[in-house]
Amino acid sequence: MRFGNALKWSVLVLAAAMLFSMGCAKKETVKSTDSSAQDAAAGKSPSQPGIVSESVKPGDAAGSTADSRLAAAEAAAGKAVTEETASIFEDIRFDFDKSAVREDAKPILAKVAAYMKKNSGAKLQIEGHCDERGTAEYNMALGDRRADSARKYLVSLGIPAGALSVISFGEVKPLDPGHNEEAWAKNRRAHFILR
Amino acid sequence: MLIIALVVAPVPASAILYIDINAPGGKRMPVALPPFVTDSGNPSLSTAFPNAIADDLAMTALFKIIPSDAYLERIVPGHFGDKRLSFPDWKIIGAEAVVIGKVEGRGDRITVEMRLYDSTLGRLMAGRRYTGSPNRVRTMAHKFANEILLAFTGVRGIFDTEIAFSAKPEKGRGKEIYIVGLDGKELRKVTSNLSYNMFPRWSPDGNSIAYTSYRTGVPVIYLRNMDDGSERAIVRFGESKSPGSFSPGGDALYASVSIKGDSDIYRVRLDNASYERVVEGWGIEISPSVSPDGKRMAFVSNRSGNPQVYIKETGSRGDRRISNAGVYSTSPSWSPAGDRIAFTSRTGGKFSIYTVRPDGGDQRLLVSGDGDCADPSYSPDGRYVVYTFQKRGYSELKIISADGRWGKSLVIGLTGAGSPAWSPRR
Repeated sequence: MRFGNALKWSVLVLAAAMLFSMGCAKKETVKSTDSSAQDAAAGKSPSQPGIVSESVKPGDAAGSTADSRLAAAEAAAGKAVTEETASIFEDIRFDFDKSAVREDAKPILAKVAAYMKKNSGAKLQIEGHCDERGTAEYNMALGDRRADSARKYLVSLGIPAGALSVISFGEVKPLDPGHNEEAWAKNRRAHFILR
Repeated sequence: MLIIALVVAPVPASAILYIDINAPGGKRMPVALPPFVTDSGNPSLSTAFPNAIADDLAMTALFKIIPSDAYLERIVPGHFGDKRLSFPDWKIIGAEAVVIGKVEGRGDRITVEMRLYDSTLGRLMAGRRYTGSPNRVRTMAHKFANEILLAFTGVRGIFDTEIAFSAKPEKGRGKEIYIVGLDGKELRKVTSNLSYNMFPRWSPDGNSIAYTSYRTGVPVIYLRNMDDGSERAIVRFGESKSPGSFSPGGDALYASVSIKGDSDIYRVRLDNASYERVVEGWGIEISPSVSPDGKRMAFVSNRSGNPQVYIKETGSRGDRRISNAGVYSTSPSWSPAGDRIAFTSRTGGKFSIYTVRPDGGDQRLLVSGDGDCADPSYSPDGRYVVYTFQKRGYSELKIISADGRWGKSLVIGLTGAGSPAWSPRR
């Protein structure tokens, strides 16, 4: 009796699987289902078929439609941020895992402030950067903190906050590609770009 | 290109526990994987399937594959009809179990039937039939390897899961998002916009990835549908930003966002992009990783003067610090099994990966190397961790078992690999 029930169930599940197969797949699939049906009908073993079906989505999402729809101007801007932009100002440097403005940065920031006062319509973007050590996510936030320290210092020198913007590149955009303390010291920086 | 799986499924879930998956170091289950029966169209598939299954089973350290030169019986098409396997011939060479398969090719679709037998009892333990494109052979093999693990241990395998990560492409200065199979195969690019694309995180259903891109010139978190490649911006506010972890129900994303140099953690609803701040502090609060029940969150804060891992519990005041390895501990990953949190810590001048209980107890070194080991992400069954290995600009993706006994390189020869994220179960 129990076996009879099991058989009935497998036929039901089988029917559902066949409907599924016919609805959305090709004919071969239906054929494979048929061969199982014979096995089931023959009742070869009580442990034989119950039929389940599942589908798997393709993994090859290689083409990226969203990317191709990107406005050309945005795409150009997205690529451009990976290039080092020359600046008329020196970079200021930071200690490892620190964002405080160092003494040696203050004369540089004073020059930046002097320029901004002389050119009152100027807009300045401050980039924050980190060296390659540490975690990329954390460095992204640390870069923001460094850029913000420079921003606050410039505001304290009388530059209007509205003339200043910040962006962090964390560790992804090193000035020096080396892997030693000398390179790291150069890469822990804020960079100033007139826009 | 669907893979249709039909089956011949066995006895009600195994009354017999063959292998205790939680008791490593025991005797390995000897398994025979004879060449699959193929028709003339696909001779190479006779070994492609068993080799892919053998690679998967090797990850578990629970099986031993009997070398094929010992096999006495040849598998023929009749074994998928009335003909019974000669089980004594398999027992005598030490095979406790036999996996057989038959492949039939029909143009751009193949059908493969795979069966797992207990050679002592002569009993069918698992049987499945898959239909799909010939370039999905490995996926079909992974799916049956999942069934093999289920039949032996009661826990389904994760061999068809994938890893998303970011790395520098061969050309250009940016970073792109990539995906690779757990067997290191089928490496492919997800983004190709020549900008910075970082921090991929899978939605709980595995259908989407959230990531940060600078593709418009400024950082935005996008949610990308992996089926059709469509995307929408979900976090535009603030300056730098990184997705951390989805809520278990998939209705919200926990993300870190910097505003005026202060990075805090926000919960962003995916339906309308509205957000609320859930962790704040004077400094950097970043990298949320939510517990499987959604009630707790591990995150990084530098409130003590340097970055450490903390736990926040819903409805409780104050956060508990759980990392005590070094002066710099970041990137927590909460195991989907719930019992451990992996994180990166700097000790002795280099970065290594530690794990700790959510209450801060039983902290252990999981892996360190001749370089930096960082950015751990747990597998959906909590049994493995993927991480990056970095040395002087060179990088690899590596996998290690959560008990540290087994490991391998998943992708070698990368530059600037970062933020690997293990997909959910498929």
